[in-house]
This record gives sequence, C-alpha cells and structure tokens, in this order.
Amino acid sequence: MSVAAVATMVLMLLLLAGFWLLQAGLTAGVAYVEGKVEIVADLRDVPGAEAALVVEARALAVDVAALPEVRTVHFVSKDEALARFRERLRERGQVDLTGYLDRNPLPASLEVGLVDPREFQPVVDLLSSRSEVVDDVVEVQQLIERLTSVTNVLRTGGLVVLVLVAFVVLFIIVNTIRLAVVARREEIEIMRLVGASDAFIRWPFIFEGAFVGLLGAGAALLVLALLAGPVGDLMYGFFRVLPLELGTLARDVVLLVVGTGLGVGVLGSWLSVRSYLGR
Amino acid sequence: MTSASPPPPAYDPARGREPAAGTGAAPRPVLTLRGVGKTYPNGKVALRDIELSLAEGEFVFLVGPSGAGKSTLLRLLIRDELPTSGEVIVDGADLARVPRRRVPELRRRIGIVFQDFKLLPARTVRDNVAFALEVTGTPRGRIRPAVDRALAVVGLAAAADQLPTTLSGGEQQRTAIARALVHEPRLIIADEPTGNLDPLISWEIIQLLLRINELGVTVLMATHNAEVVTSLRRRVVALEEGRIVRDEVGGYHRED
Ligand SMILES: Nc1ncnc2c1ncn2[C@@H]1O[C@H](COP(=O)(O)OP(=O)(O)OP(=O)(O)O)[C@@H](O)[C@H]1O
Ligand SMILES: [Mg+2]
Repeated sequence: MSVAAVATMVLMLLLLAGFWLLQAGLTAGVAYVEGKVEIVADLRDVPGAEAALVVEARALAVDVAALPEVRTVHFVSKDEALARFRERLRERGQVDLTGYLDRNPLPASLEVGLVDPREFQPVVDLLSSRSEVVDDVVEVQQLIERLTSVTNVLRTGGLVVLVLVAFVVLFIIVNTIRLAVVARREEIEIMRLVGASDAFIRWPFIFEGAFVGLLGAGAALLVLALLAGPVGDLMYGFFRVLPLELGTLARDVVLLVVGTGLGVGVLGSWLSVRSYLGR
Repeated sequence: MTSASPPPPAYDPARGREPAAGTGAAPRPVLTLRGVGKTYPNGKVALRDIELSLAEGEFVFLVGPSGAGKSTLLRLLIRDELPTSGEVIVDGADLARVPRRRVPELRRRIGIVFQDFKLLPARTVRDNVAFALEVTGTPRGRIRPAVDRALAVVGLAAAADQLPTTLSGGEQQRTAIARALVHEPRLIIADEPTGNLDPLISWEIIQLLLRINELGVTVLMATHNAEVVTSLRRRVVALEEGRIVRDEVGGYHRED
C-alpha cells in the first residue's frame, strides 16, 4: 500500500468535501434569498382619499392572502413607509429633511411573501387587475428568474464537478492498485493456475483499496474537523443567517467522504484486478 | 512386396491406449480434442483441425519445432484460452460450456508444470506446495498431510523448510511437481519441464514423471528433449505449424 495513494485520496476527498460544502452554502444562500423575495405593490395615493383607499387595500390584502401561492401579506401604511424611510436615513447617517415636507409623499404598499418564489404570476396578475387600488407592481419577475437560473447552473455545475473529481480519484486509485497487482502478477498467475477462484484472488486487493479509501477518508475528515473551528468562527455571522443545519451538514459530509473513499477504493481495486483474472 | 513388412505402430486415438488383443473395453479418455482450431486475436493461426485423445494412464510426449503450437494446445486444456473452433473435452467436460466461475474447479483436477517452475520465492518449499490447497479453501487440517505426501513422492521431504532460491533447478522443478500433485489430479500437463535443466537432472525429472504416471496419473508433456523422447519409446504426438503430423509410439523424429 502506498503513501501516495492515501495522499491523493485525502486531497481528492478534501476537494470533494470542499465542493460539497460550497454547493451546500450556495444552495442555502439562494434559499435564503428566495425566502426574502417578495412582491411589492405600491398603492395609489390620492390626497384626501387616504382612508377609503386603506379600506380597499385591506380588502385586496384579504383576497391576495387567499391565493395558495401566498405565504404572507403585509400592509405597509403610509406612516410605516415614512418611518422606514427615516430609519434608513438614520442608519446611513444622512440628514432627515422629511420634517419639512407638508405631506407624506410615500405611498402605502402591500408586501407579499410567496410560498415558492417561482410561482409569482397569479399574484402579479391579481394585483395588476386591481388598478383602482394598485398603482404599480414592482418588477420582481426578472430578479426571481435570474436568481433561479443562477441556482440551477450552480447545482448542475457542482454536480458535474463532483462527478469529474470522483473520476479523477477513481483513475488514480485504479493506477495505484494496479501497481500492487503488477507487483504480485506472478502470484496471481500461479493462483489462477492452481485453481483459486476469482473472488479469492480479488479480495486482498479489494481489501487494500477499501483500506486506502477509509484511511484517506479518516485523514480528510481530520483535516476538515481541524479547519471547521477557525472557518466557522470566521463565517459565524454568515452561517447564522443561512438556513443551514450544521449537524445535518456535518453528517452529510462524513457520509460523503467515507462513502466516496470506500466506494472509489473498492471500485478502483476491482477494476485493476479484473484484467488480470483472464477469460 | 511391402505387405510383408510390419505396419508402423499406428495409434488409434479413438480407442485410447494401445489395444491389447482380446482384452475388454478401452479405458475412457481423460481428454479429447475434436476438430480444434485456435486463431489468436492478432490473426495468428496456432492450431488447425486437431484430433487428439488421451486415455487414462497414458504418458504422451508432445513435440514439434518452436512455434508449432504446443503451449497453445496445453493452454486450451486448462481453459487459459478457448478454441476458435472444435471441442475440448477434459474429464468429461466440454470446456467451452464450463462457465467462468467453474473454471477453478476444473483446474484443481489438472496438475500443471512449467519450464520456469513458477514458484513463489518468498515461500518455503512446503508453503509453495500448500499454496495450491490454501487458495482453494482446503481446511487447514487436510493441508499438512497432503503436502507431506506430495513432497514424499517427489523426494523433497528433507528440503520442506527451505526457500526455492536455495534449491537447485531440479529441486525447484520437483517442488513444482509436488504442487501439481497435491490436488491428486488425474492429469498432469507439463510444458517443457526440463527446458531449464541439464541432461542429468532432466532425466531425474522424467523418471519422476514416469513414476507418477505409474501411480495412474495421465501425463502430457511438451518437450524439445529428443534424447529422452527417443529412448523412452512412448506415444509421441508431433505438431508442425499447428497440425498434428504424427501420432504414434516412437522417437522424437519420424522413423521411416
Ligand atoms: N497470446 C498469443 N497471441 C498471439 N499469438 C500467440 C500467442 N501465444 C502464442 N502465439 C503464437 O502462436 C504460435 C504457437 O505458439 P506456442 O507458444 O503454442 O508454440 P510452442 O510450440 O509452444 O513453441 P515453443 O516450443 O517455442 O514453446 C506461435 O507462432 C506464437 O507466436
Ligand atoms: Mg511453448
């Protein structure tokens, strides 16, 4: 058994785990953003008719909430809109001049949270159809579509990379075990000639492949465990925001690393020995 | 007229051992090749239209110039290669019909000996012989007595714990023969077993194979050793360019 085989195995498994964590992070990030995506409808603002419009807006809110695609509906009154605006100015340290305005210029609005950010069309349609209340449906459509396509590209791209990495590992393991097989070529030939079964000849190499895989997986997990502390501290704020189950993620990574190490080690050995077992 | 001269000692493959007049049925064949041809994937035709049958208990030499197809024929018998045409029947089994996973069983019924001994250098004589039983999953308790018996037959009991590298060529070949014997095969196939040995030691090996033959084991031996073949006057099968050109009791060369 060679140190080089274990070392490559460790490197590849680390790469694999890295990619896995990256895509898990990205997926969670996208889910987070998706969860934040809302449809915003600015309401008409007619001086003097504010009270009547509020009644109509609340009726619309009830209708919107009845749609199955809708998770939440929040009515933002003109006062609340102004309060938020002032809050934002204060956060940025800008001078608040709104006190000099004779009338609150901000419109009331409806903020609609969706169950699935891709299913926005019925909500937009309903809001647009009530033009007596709704002034403008803020164009979220394009944003959502772009986000979704980026997510998909990341997922498929990640998958392709994972498969490619697995193939590289397999190739390296096949060649490493082949060296071991070649070193014992004569012994294998004698075994065949005296009537050893294929399984009997194969198992020591399968065992070796599995051992390389498990050793590599163990070392890779050790490295990951050592890195987890500092990296976690560094990204604490980020991770806290994301809807990531750290326990589940750790379990997935352990399963992925051990499973891939074992699987690739065994498969690689099997492929290496196969050509020496004759017809 | 030529009718007065005695006919050559022709050999009838269909009847196996030379029939003694008046005795009963011929012994059943240990191996039979019918219409066997072998063309390697590279297009090289190694055997053509081989008809051959060995009866139980025979001792047969396979001779012919280098490249005639002797080793190819022997490889067909252990199903190391499959024929491209015809049938190879060993111990009643048509080898083309034996599934891959049953090939090991078949090989355990045949002892094989090679020119280059094919011993494992890191194992003692005893362990080399035991290896043939270990790899077939024989219970440990049965290995030791079987190995001792095989080593006794070849006269190597005293060298059992030596490594092959400390042995002479003849002793190494006797170790290989013990390994071939340890499964108690009905057939021993030897491919130039004396090819690496000097004449005196070659004779020892031949004597050993003859003794094993006397125990009832059929022996098929490919060889270039003309002196041995000619003086023993056994059945000789001669190959040339993949064909059997002679099959009779006699010497290394055609005697007309
Ligand atoms: N695996 C192979 N692939 C292609 N051709 C082969 C193969 N093995 C043998 N041959 C060819 O088949 C022919 C017969 O070879 P074989 O080894 O049977 O001859 P042989 O009678 O044993 O010769 P020698 O006395 O030199 O051992 C030769 O021409 C050889 O080159
Ligand atoms: Mg040969």
